[in-house]
Amino acid sequence: MSTRTATLAEQVTLIELVDRVLNKGVVLSGDITLSVAGVDLVYVGLRLLLTSVASLEERAAGEE
Amino acid sequence: MTGGATARPGSGLYVYGVVRADTPPDLFADVRGVDPTRPVAVLAEGEVAAVVSRVSLDEFGADAIAENLRVADWVAAKVRAHDDVLGATVGRTAVVPFRFGAIYGGEESVRTMLRERADLADRLETLSGRMELGVKGYVDREQVRALLARERGVGDDAPDTGRAYMERRRLDRELEDEVRERAMRWATAGHERLAAAADDARSSPARQDEAAPSSSMMFLNGAYLVREEDAERFRTALGELAESQRADGVTYELTGPWPAYSFVGEEEEPG
Repeated sequence: MSTRTATLAEQVTLIELVDRVLNKGVVLSGDITLSVAGVDLVYVGLRLLLTSVASLEERAAGEE
Repeated sequence: MTGGATARPGSGLYVYGVVRADTPPDLFADVRGVDPTRPVAVLAEGEVAAVVSRVSLDEFGADAIAENLRVADWVAAKVRAHDDVLGATVGRTAVVPFRFGAIYGGEESVRTMLRERADLADRLETLSGRMELGVKGYVDREQVRALLARERGVGDDAPDTGRAYMERRRLDRELEDEVRERAMRWATAGHERLAAAADDARSSPARQDEAAPSSSMMFLNGAYLVREEDAERFRTALGELAESQRADGVTYELTGPWPAYSFVGEEEEPG
């Protein structure tokens, strides 16, 4: 379970980060030992965001 | 993806991106990589150098990474680390960011990649002295509704006539179309205006920000490559844009400076 106490601002930053780090940047092929080519990183990012939003809502509900 | 001939025990080299060969390695002395126990190093070959750190295949091997990518906290931590390393270059030297997860067998394969990618030096030149700024534009649905109601003379009071009731109904029906139409207009105009203050510009599909208030809708998700000496001019342009649309229920959010993630992709994302 997550022990992070992320704030709303941190969540927004994470969305920005995921948008860039997982979805953009130079994609290389070639002698990559463990390519994540088979993994849809955009999907990984979406799933991560859904999870973090869910935890955010849980916490918000807990604070009410 | 399962074991077999490609399974190698031990470690690999995670590549964050590429910088000029003369970049001092101590630029990365204070940042932690995707494996926080390993230092971030600069591996030069010719004019360019890869920013790397060693990773254990127990964590980043093909099977392990497929598992770990399912763990939200793991992905979040690694994504942050990847950005922290590249972020150390911002305002100091140009970097060509690699997408998350480029892991090589060893130094020799990294050097081979650097030799084969002659375009990397040119890309660094293009990015030199420039930074990526992110701008997101949001419109508040409730505010657009209020504006529409005022424009059409639809009152806020309970409708006391059949006609007033019908007008209210029509407003509700047309609100979404109206918001979409305005959002599209603002997205085009805003992006053009900001692009004029930048060297290069990219517009990504606006995404519904789940973390944002529910009445707020994103209409612009732009990235702008701005010369360091033009940063103030860009901020002024954004400020003026925001000011001119404040009464429309529009707000803008500026993020960055970022490494130039949005300006190195080989292909444009469709949409």
